[in-house]
Amino acid sequence: MEIVRVEKLSKTYGKGEAQVAALKNVSFSMERGQFGAVVGESGSGKSTLLNCVGGLDRADAGKVFIGDRDLFAMGEEERTIFRRQNIGFIFQSFHLIPELNVEQNIIFPLLLDYRKPEQTRVEEILEVLGLTNRRKHLPGQLSGGQQQRVAIGRALITRPALVLADEPTGNLDSRNSEDVMDLLCKASRHYQQTVLMITHNRNLTSAADRVFQVTDGTLCELGGDRR
Amino acid sequence: MKHYLDLIAISAGRHKKQTRMTRLCIVLAVFLVTVIFGMADMEMRAQMIQAVKSDGNWHAGFVVDAETGALIGERPEVERIARYGVVNYGLQDGYRIGGVETCVCGLDADLLEMFPAVTVLEGRFPQQDDEAMLNEAVKSRLGLRVGDLVSLTVPRGESRQYRITGITKDMILTAEHDAFGMLLTAEGYDALHTGETDAEQEMVYFVQFKKFCNIQKAIGDISTQFGLAPEQVRQNAKVLMLMFQSGDSYLMKFYFVAAVLAVLVAVAGIFMIAASMNSNIARRTEFFGMMRCLGATKRQVICFVKREALGWCRLAVPAGLLAGVVTVWAACGMLRLLSPGLFDSMPALGVSVLSLVAGTLIGLVTVLLAAGAPAKKAAGVSPLTAVSGNAGTVQAAKRAADTRGFKVDTALGVHHAAGSRRNFFLVTGSFAFSIILFLAFGTAIDFMHHAIMPLRPQAPDFYAFAADYANIIPAELAEQLQEHPGVKRAFGRGYAQVTAQLDGQQTLFTILSYDAQQFRWAGRGLLKGNLADAEEGKGVLLAWREEGQVPVGSKLTLSVGGEDREVSVVGILGDVPFSHGTAANTGSSEVLLICSEALFRNLTGETGYAVLDMQMEQAIEETEVQQIRKKIEQACGTGISFADKRLSNQEVKGASYSLSVFLYGFLVIIAMLAFFNIINCIAMSVSARMREYGVMRAIGMSVRQLVRMIVGETLAYMVSGAVFGCLIGLPINRILFEALVTSRWGEAWEVPVWELAVIVAVMGCALCLAVAGPARQIRQMTVVDTIGEA
Repeated sequence: MEIVRVEKLSKTYGKGEAQVAALKNVSFSMERGQFGAVVGESGSGKSTLLNCVGGLDRADAGKVFIGDRDLFAMGEEERTIFRRQNIGFIFQSFHLIPELNVEQNIIFPLLLDYRKPEQTRVEEILEVLGLTNRRKHLPGQLSGGQQQRVAIGRALITRPALVLADEPTGNLDSRNSEDVMDLLCKASRHYQQTVLMITHNRNLTSAADRVFQVTDGTLCELGGDRR
Repeated sequence: MKHYLDLIAISAGRHKKQTRMTRLCIVLAVFLVTVIFGMADMEMRAQMIQAVKSDGNWHAGFVVDAETGALIGERPEVERIARYGVVNYGLQDGYRIGGVETCVCGLDADLLEMFPAVTVLEGRFPQQDDEAMLNEAVKSRLGLRVGDLVSLTVPRGESRQYRITGITKDMILTAEHDAFGMLLTAEGYDALHTGETDAEQEMVYFVQFKKFCNIQKAIGDISTQFGLAPEQVRQNAKVLMLMFQSGDSYLMKFYFVAAVLAVLVAVAGIFMIAASMNSNIARRTEFFGMMRCLGATKRQVICFVKREALGWCRLAVPAGLLAGVVTVWAACGMLRLLSPGLFDSMPALGVSVLSLVAGTLIGLVTVLLAAGAPAKKAAGVSPLTAVSGNAGTVQAAKRAADTRGFKVDTALGVHHAAGSRRNFFLVTGSFAFSIILFLAFGTAIDFMHHAIMPLRPQAPDFYAFAADYANIIPAELAEQLQEHPGVKRAFGRGYAQVTAQLDGQQTLFTILSYDAQQFRWAGRGLLKGNLADAEEGKGVLLAWREEGQVPVGSKLTLSVGGEDREVSVVGILGDVPFSHGTAANTGSSEVLLICSEALFRNLTGETGYAVLDMQMEQAIEETEVQQIRKKIEQACGTGISFADKRLSNQEVKGASYSLSVFLYGFLVIIAMLAFFNIINCIAMSVSARMREYGVMRAIGMSVRQLVRMIVGETLAYMVSGAVFGCLIGLPINRILFEALVTSRWGEAWEVPVWELAVIVAVMGCALCLAVAGPARQIRQMTVVDTIGEA
């Protein structure tokens, strides 16, 4: 089942001589449960691609479908609500809410929907993330690896169809990077969620089903390391 | 770049927007303090002009003999001394010129310097015992000129001749009572006084002390040296108060209140700047962490923050001062516009040094004081912060938000407000301070309402009245005079005295007739009943009596000229300002009835008025006034008297305007303080958390939810500020009210509902604006740019 479909996506920054084409006619699609990795040089357009796919940024041309919904056909408010219910984000800098504890940070997207979280689901996520005994800690009291695990928990709590991760291991040591990758793989395999991850680390692509390379705004598929 | 502190200028150039709020805060605080002190200074000047005009600019008066007077004059602290004596001040002792009661004063020429209101229009001050100066009414009414001889009839039946050497402007006393005023030399007065009374010569020696002299001490020394009893010493209380030289305990309370309010204003300024700086530093944690990371010592960071803050002052303080001075100019301009003539001697573009000093001090000292704590905080930032992931968003929270009580957006908003105790205290404190200030200054308005009676709308500038309150003024005269040039309005009242049974007793009633205009004015004071019924002649209005009320709808049987007439009481009036010949004048307990002119005619058969009031244009010519006077005299004969209230009305208006401009100006400034403070605090808080908001938007928080979060934060500050403000402000309001009003007029303190309503309304408006700005900012925010993930 196709979860994400990107059609002829283009995005340009700047004007005149300073104009930079961040994305040029990028098209691809991903099936349910697939794990995709995007590699490329700095400034090649990886993050722009991820932000456009996630609806954080608008493209100049092209379409992004999540399921059968065209992201850019939605109004701002509708897209925001759609995003929090269907797309999970994981950032390199974690971006946790400093005044919410671990558990509150994880259930935050549900709270934004004014939904009561299922306690069993919360316990399960905390268990999987290994944060059960840290549930009342604030982000400032956690290590980088723990903070990223909280961010992953936050991205998974709504059971989104698509999880987008922008260099999730960029700020972590190798041990924590491994843990994060395990968690993302689990999301893909165990919960059948589609994961699209940006990484600089070629070694991490070994876990991916599909590997894409972005070069000067153009996307090409390198194939899959795992399957 | 030669020094690490040069980074301040470079950074300021690059981050103008980031520091704009803090700079604006300094400008506002300096502006408010400058305006408040500037307006206080200008008000003191206006009051001084008023006080000198009405009471003279003498400092003390001593009732002593000539020898003691001369010795006092020799004292080194005495700048100027002059003698003054008066007979017939009450205008009923029989000193008359042309049959008109004349107030006769004896004085030294120097005294004129102390009474600038006595303006010499022509001629000179008398030099011989038989020379005199007269007021201009003598010239206009008797046709006398400088050089003519005037005859003063004295109580013992003789008359004394004086040569007129000069003409002065009319004074309030003589104008109001339609009397004459005569100025003699002290010696001439002495001859008259000792010749006409058996009393010993009684002269007051008015003294003006030298500058910078401790007046209270000097008065005390003089009293002790010459063994003067308290009743022999007079003080010009108003002038001394305005010179801060009064020893009066009530005035000391006044100074105390002024000092408390000045401190409160200064503290409000400190709070405002401190809150803004705190937020500014918190926002730049990452930057200071980076400085520490690069090797800056804690001392260097503190120095950096303080220098940076002083750098903001370089432009912000002069800007605040300039804005403050211009506002004070506007207030003074308004005063001159409202009361032309009265405040002409006040400088239009005067600069109050006091306000400039206060504004600059508040700006610089506050910024340095306020920069201290954030500077230490900045210095305390760990170098690791710069390289760790969470830096640069907001300072790390110390406790988690409580998301159980409210929805998550509101809960986070409340937590943003209450999360940091220091910030919460500063912002809430600054809100509370505005309320405290508002409530404290509010008592000054109550004081003003009690101390200065504003001119009632029906107050006449000039009126004619029959000596025995007979209705001899033809009603048509009012209509004719209404058309006279310079007359704004002319209206009359008939007076009649009748008896009726009231509370089982035969009671004296005075009936007054009102025309349509007077009924309109009376409408404000109607306590019960129907004004229209009275206006249509269906019944009478009764003035409110302390002894008890007659129910509306009941009948009164009036005995008019031996005939019984029944009238209905159709209403009760709380306030009847026209009381000539009634209880207020006679001290009797008669009751006032008000009825229409038609009913008055029907009851009494009288068609004329006993009193004819006129309101005049400010610029009416004196010749027009004399013409009006003649017209009335022609129509009514000699049994008519006049009173000219223009001078005293102008004085009342002037005092009321100047104090109103000053006090209401203060309240507006304080309301502005609350208003800008709320907007500023929220704008700063939002801009400090913009990155966090960006993250929330990325996770899926809608704009509406973010706005709700900001509303939650603003409300948390406002509600707690309002609660603290009221908890502290209401007792202060009560203490000040009791010191200023209750102690003098006995009125009990009540919860100041209108002040609270105004401040709540101001805060409500500020809330809307405080949220609207950030909401727009959030709507325009690009998530990717804000969180820096592109």
